[in-house]
Formats: sequence, C-alpha cells, structure tokens
Amino acid sequence: MYRSTGFIAFVLRRLTGVALVIYLLLHIWVIGGINSGAETFNDRMEFLGKPFFRLLEIGLLAAVVYHGVDGIRLLIGHYFQVTEYRRGLFYAVIVVSGILVIAGGVPILLFALEG
Amino acid sequence: MATNGSVPTVTIRIQRFNPDVDKKPYLQEFQVKAPPGKTILDALHEIKEEQDGSLTFRRSCRHAICGSCAMNVNGRHMLVCDAPLREHLDRKGVLTLRPLAYLPIIKDLVVDRSSFWEQYLRVKPWLIPPENIPEKEFRMSPAEVAALRDAEHCIMCGACYSSCQIIALTKQYIGPHALLKAFLRVLDPRDSAPAERLADLDRGDGVYRCHTIFNCIDACPKNLNPTEAIETLRKLVIKRQAFEAARAERQRRLDQPIEIVGETPALSGGE
Repeated sequence: MYRSTGFIAFVLRRLTGVALVIYLLLHIWVIGGINSGAETFNDRMEFLGKPFFRLLEIGLLAAVVYHGVDGIRLLIGHYFQVTEYRRGLFYAVIVVSGILVIAGGVPILLFALEG
Repeated sequence: MATNGSVPTVTIRIQRFNPDVDKKPYLQEFQVKAPPGKTILDALHEIKEEQDGSLTFRRSCRHAICGSCAMNVNGRHMLVCDAPLREHLDRKGVLTLRPLAYLPIIKDLVVDRSSFWEQYLRVKPWLIPPENIPEKEFRMSPAEVAALRDAEHCIMCGACYSSCQIIALTKQYIGPHALLKAFLRVLDPRDSAPAERLADLDRGDGVYRCHTIFNCIDACPKNLNPTEAIETLRKLVIKRQAFEAARAERQRRLDQPIEIVGETPALSGGE
C-alpha cells in the first residue's frame, strides 16, 4: 500500500461515498413509508428519532461535508495546474471540513442531548 | 545506527520470497556498514556477495537511467542505485526494502512487470510520422518542446505504476506510465495520429480511470508529472477532431523555420 495524502483522501472519499449510499437507502425507506400510510411513516420516524440516530446525524454531516469539499478539491485539480500544491489542498480540505462539521455538529449535538 | 569504530553499522530488513519454498513473503534482517556515499544498491551487492548469495534483485546501469532497480524503501518507491544508504534510514535507523507493490513477486525484490509492458504497448508508444517527411529535419519551437513537460525523461522504472491505487484494484487500467507516453506522442508536433490515440484513451479503463490520487507524482524518481499529463489528455480527448485538424495544419510547416516569440534560454546562451 502506497501511503500518501492522496491515498488517504481517496480512501476517505470511498468510505464517505458508501456511507452516503447507505444513508440514501435508509432515507428512501423512511420517506417511502408514507406509501403504507401515515402510521407506518410515523413509526419509522419515531424509530429514527432516538438519540443514537440523532448523534449519527453528526456522522452524516461529516460524510456529506468531507465528500463535497473533497469533490471541490478534485475539481480544482481537474481545471487548474495545482499538482504542486496537492498536499496543501488535502490539508485545506481537512481544515475546512473540520470547521463546517464543528459548526453544524454542535447544534445537532445540543438538539440530541435535549432529547 | 550502531557504530563500529568510525563506520556505523545499520540494519537492513529485506522482504524475501522464494516461490519454490515459501508460502508468503517474510522480512529478513542483515547488518551492513554504512560509510558516507554508500548507496542502497551497494549495500544489496555487499549482502549478496558476503552474506546471502540467494538474495535476488534487479539492477543494471547504476546511474539512475535504466530503471531496473526501482523498489520500495521504507514505504517510498525509488531507484536504489542513486539513493544514499544513510539518508533513507527510518527513525530507528533501519532500512526496509520491499519489491514494487501491487505486482506479482517472482523472487525476493524482483517483480513480474508483464502487465506494465502490455499496457505500455497498448498506447502505441512509437512516433507515427506524417506522409510529408521533411528532407532535412523536423523543426519544433522551444514552446512546443516545453509543452511536453519533460515527459521524454521517463525511464520506465515502474515506480508510478506500482504506486497507483487503481492498478492495485485492476490491471485493466492503462496506468500512469503509458498515459505519460501517450501524452508525449499526442503533443508531439511530428506525430500524425493524435485523434486515433486520443480515441483509444477515451474509455473507462483509459484516462477516466485515474482518480487523481497523485501517488504517481510522489513516486516518480525523475520528478515527472503523470497526473498533469492525464489531465491534459482528458481535455484533448473531448476536442480530438479539432486537435487533429490543427496538427495537420502544423505539419505542413514542419520543415519551415520556427517563428520564435520572445527570448529563450537556449538562444541567450543556455540556462
């Protein structure tokens, strides 16, 4: 395995991508519950209203933010000659993602703790 | 790094594998002296001559130009013939040598590069000259040569190929080495089939398979930039017909004097 910042970014992008697909399936399952009536939909929403799933939303936010910001990094790489700054760009993605996840994660955490 | 008199002794861990005997590769330790200026290849020779004659590795020119001795040193690919032993020790003063990654091991540090060469031939690495070959010479401007971005300096060592994460997943991908060669031929004003070459690259296992991981740049011992070459090819693939038409126009003037805009290092007496 050839370890580099590019490799770490590649693995994180893959993992967050798979996580988002799993979330999407779960999302369709919940929203699709409306087809079976209001009761089913409400049951499923209640199931996901537990504190565990609320905390998991911070993970969802992290996956969405990282995947998106890393996508911007890739676009910059595709359109501009920035290979010289590849490591700096990766660290910038981590910093920007970290700030956004903290900014969004704290309110989610407070909401989850309120129950 | 233990010192024995004035010359320190270092530990080299080498990945060994004999397919006739071993089920899987293992690391074997050797102790060698490390005087200043001694290369890793020198150390390998010393081990083979004085400690274990069965140690197998590839080497040829010892001037970092044949590409035979590319291997993994403490997690980084490099040509061991121009790598000073002392400068590449890890924090514990140990050097770990492994063969190039993601390729079948033939024995010890020697890997099977068949897929590497098969993909290389896939891009037709030779020049396809135009029909109107000039009597005297092809003329290229300094800008046209500069556009090739030193791609002709590739020595086919396989460091980029075996650091590429996509190659780890599939050997169907052309690979950074072959794409860099394709870039060299496509951008060469003397080549007359850029559209055909670009059409061959316009596939799922061609330029679009690259995931822009940049490992090829990190691994290249000649500091070349296959990723940038791939990005250029991606742009040209889309407009290959227009590119071919411009190439045909350019080739009508291949034997004409080049119009030079601005002063170049070569004209001002070199760099």
